[in-house]
Amino acid sequence: MKSVILVSCLWGWSMVKKNKGQQEMVGFVLIVAIVLIALMVFLVISIRNKTEFKQSDDVENFVNVLMMHTTECAIVYEPDYDNVNDLIKSCYNNRKCTNLNKMACDYLNESLNQIMEKVMETDASVSAYEVDIAYENNEERSYVIPQILKGNCSGSVYGGQQLISVESGRIIALVKFCYN
Amino acid sequence: MVNSLKNGAQMKIQQMAFMIVAVLIFFVLVGLAFIGWQFIGIKDNFNNLQKEQAIASIRTISDMPEFNCDSRRSLCVDEDKLIVMANSSYSGFWNVASIRAYKILEKKSYLVYDSKQKNRKEFSTYVLICKKITGNYEKCDIGKLSVGVVDG
Repeated sequence: MKSVILVSCLWGWSMVKKNKGQQEMVGFVLIVAIVLIALMVFLVISIRNKTEFKQSDDVENFVNVLMMHTTECAIVYEPDYDNVNDLIKSCYNNRKCTNLNKMACDYLNESLNQIMEKVMETDASVSAYEVDIAYENNEERSYVIPQILKGNCSGSVYGGQQLISVESGRIIALVKFCYN
Repeated sequence: MVNSLKNGAQMKIQQMAFMIVAVLIFFVLVGLAFIGWQFIGIKDNFNNLQKEQAIASIRTISDMPEFNCDSRRSLCVDEDKLIVMANSSYSGFWNVASIRAYKILEKKSYLVYDSKQKNRKEFSTYVLICKKITGNYEKCDIGKLSVGVVDG
């Protein structure tokens, strides 16, 4: 009889211990889950901040100045040279630089690459850049010239853009600079 | 039996105390990281504000009749005026430490004024540097107008 009571006491004690152990495990899992969620929220916020760009007066000025820069391309006659703004429109309309015997789009791509290279050479704080010239209307979005990209960005991204109206839509000229 | 129960309870209390301390340390670390991140933002904002203020001053200088292409365009500098100003003695006129303009593509530079003060900070922004070619046609290049201000 005594031995039966002892066995049942020991069994009850081990059950209580098992329940406590399960409770502790649940608590531990909960804490780990909370910490993981906090880390994920922090990561999402930091990644989102890195990908988007901030507006900057300096880059905005650069885009305005770039659009007014006189190129070597004359669509009709010399010295009526296109500025970059007009050259983008000429490229969109598939026109040709008669004085250079080149397509406006080829020349635009070439000269933008050249300008951006020089800008990066003169401004040591710029570690990378991106230039997007894209047409968009209500239905579609397509690049007028291939995206121009150079450098590896590890700092803050600042951008500026200008809108150019064309028939049935608009062209967006977007420039992004990555500063160290 | 009573002793082992007492020891078990003490262990539990100890475990809980350790857990609370660990969670507290974790949240303190997260808080410190967050405060550090916020301070970086404040420093960035301060630098940006300082730069924006400098750009506004540069805009004012580039829009002066001594420099500008015409009154309708902002941030546009006449290259001929730059040449004249670079060779004149306007030293007492400018309220800044230095003014310099340069063309980015041609690597041509014009030093308009330099007070030769040592403790100065340079700010610059992009401007259009234009030159009349024939009749109504002009050639405009991307340039930078750099203004030195006395630091501190």
